[in-house]
Amino acid sequence: MTTWTKIKWGLRVVIAIFVAMFLHYVLPQHDTVQITNTYNRLTSVGGMNSIFYASEDAGSNTTEQRDIRFIEAKYANGNVIIYRNEDTGWIWPPYFKYDSSNLQAEAGNLKSSDTSPKWAIVTHYGWRVLWLTAYPNAVSVRAATGPDDSIFPWVNIMILTVLGAVWLLLWRMWAQFRERTIDPLFASAEETFDKAGDTAGAAREKVGGVFSGFGRWLATWRRK
Amino acid sequence: MRLIRIYLVAFVVLTIFYGLLRVYSRSLRREKLEKHWDREKPDGTDRETYVQEGLKAYDRSIRPKLFALIYVVPFIVIGVTIYMVNY
Repeated sequence: MTTWTKIKWGLRVVIAIFVAMFLHYVLPQHDTVQITNTYNRLTSVGGMNSIFYASEDAGSNTTEQRDIRFIEAKYANGNVIIYRNEDTGWIWPPYFKYDSSNLQAEAGNLKSSDTSPKWAIVTHYGWRVLWLTAYPNAVSVRAATGPDDSIFPWVNIMILTVLGAVWLLLWRMWAQFRERTIDPLFASAEETFDKAGDTAGAAREKVGGVFSGFGRWLATWRRK
Repeated sequence: MRLIRIYLVAFVVLTIFYGLLRVYSRSLRREKLEKHWDREKPDGTDRETYVQEGLKAYDRSIRPKLFALIYVVPFIVIGVTIYMVNY
């Protein structure tokens, strides 16, 4: 492997990691927890952690104090988690959530103590980052039958499938563009289509590069 | 209103996608026409004319117009999301 190939692959891996982290932050997750407390608290949001909170105005960098609703909860294994309950803006993340007051009331309804625990499934997105004081945003809450109740992640699967399909489509478009527009530049204009395909394939192999292997594989499908 | 702002951004992206889809679909159809002519070699028309007529028929057909449905997608997605998150 040449150094250039290594760098290319390294870059691809880094980009893939970033995309995975982004999706993990934005896509909804379900937690089965026991809600212990719900309250409001004046919290200061500003500087580095403002991207983890809902933003009413874009571009303000100063620290501000805001009243934020919180939901405290406990996992079956004893760990605790604190969710915030904020309306998302219209722009990002695209949850269009504006029922946080209702949600707070529903969560308050499901409060329980250890003596008679009531379990709930909280759908949320975001991360709990301690050193940035970032909390995941609770999107919805519903009563669960017990600590082992769980929801199958239909929405995540659908979104990831659609994203995968779009990515595949873009890749096919690019391969088609290469085969029809770029590669014939290597072939003689007088030859027939089949011969042009072979010569372009040979020229492609000589040139090498990222898409040549994929283009060759794609060409074998086309000829069928 | 903010909804209009979202749709403006989505409109630009969708227009790019719409253009790409039209070009891609037409390119696939052109390739299919060329392959068909290479295989069948019907007498009477040469390759270029056959492909051009085929493309004209394609442009008149309904498929290129169906791609315009892509502009409706954000409304559907937003509507479904609002319903699922809030109700």
